[in-house]
Amino acid sequence: MNRQWLVDAGVLLAGVTSGIASGMFGIGGGVILVPILGLLLGFTQHRAQGTSLVALIPPTGLLAVIQYAKADYVSWQTGLLLIPGLFLGGIAGGHLARRIPAARMRRIFAALMFLLGIWQVFSAFRG
Amino acid sequence: MTIGLVLLLGLAAGILVGLLGIGGGIVLVPAMVHILHLDQHLAQGTSLLVLLPPIGLGALRQYWKAGNVNLRAGILCAVGMILGAYIGGKTAVPMSSQLLKGLFGGFLMFSAVLLWIRARPAAPASAALQEDGA
Repeated sequence: MNRQWLVDAGVLLAGVTSGIASGMFGIGGGVILVPILGLLLGFTQHRAQGTSLVALIPPTGLLAVIQYAKADYVSWQTGLLLIPGLFLGGIAGGHLARRIPAARMRRIFAALMFLLGIWQVFSAFRG
Repeated sequence: MTIGLVLLLGLAAGILVGLLGIGGGIVLVPAMVHILHLDQHLAQGTSLLVLLPPIGLGALRQYWKAGNVNLRAGILCAVGMILGAYIGGKTAVPMSSQLLKGLFGGFLMFSAVLLWIRARPAAPASAALQEDGA
């Protein structure tokens, strides 16, 4: 009972944290939410992922999109063109994942992402 | 920027999302910046727009069937995220593109580390704090 209250508060805070990352960096937020639920709040990996998917169903980024749009930081044409490919690609990727060792793929991708991050930081401060 | 290239980019990003179980934004934003040469702010705003529809619904069904969903926690997270996204957007919009690009780079590295940890074969997480919805 008392503990339930504590868990709820922790979960709400996890949501706020990943929401800030979402609005700041233009991402969905699952990247942050899943590790917080799993590593800090003790959810199993599957349960953390399933729960994160619930949180990503409502358009949680709406208030952020409105602010970006007001500043003219939304390319509607690009955005609408990306959606069909993303949807179809997601289905294809899901099927592909059953044939390919996904854990190793993730590590390869994580390494690439890390390098891309270094490059991005460099290019930002080179002027 | 050609329409065909954008369509193809969406497809490629979608395959990565389905294959690796990662969010679309972390792939889309760098792709829009480096391949379509959009400004950092514009790429982020556009990515947020793309992520508004419930693209994870199909995946959620699979987790739901397997009983791997904590609905109460999910709803609480969503409430927190709406608030957080407002704060995040408010912070990012007035920033210089240069600074935002650098911060995004740091965030990419951080996410890469999280992705690496998650790729461990079987993560034996303790279920200590996890309530059971029967």
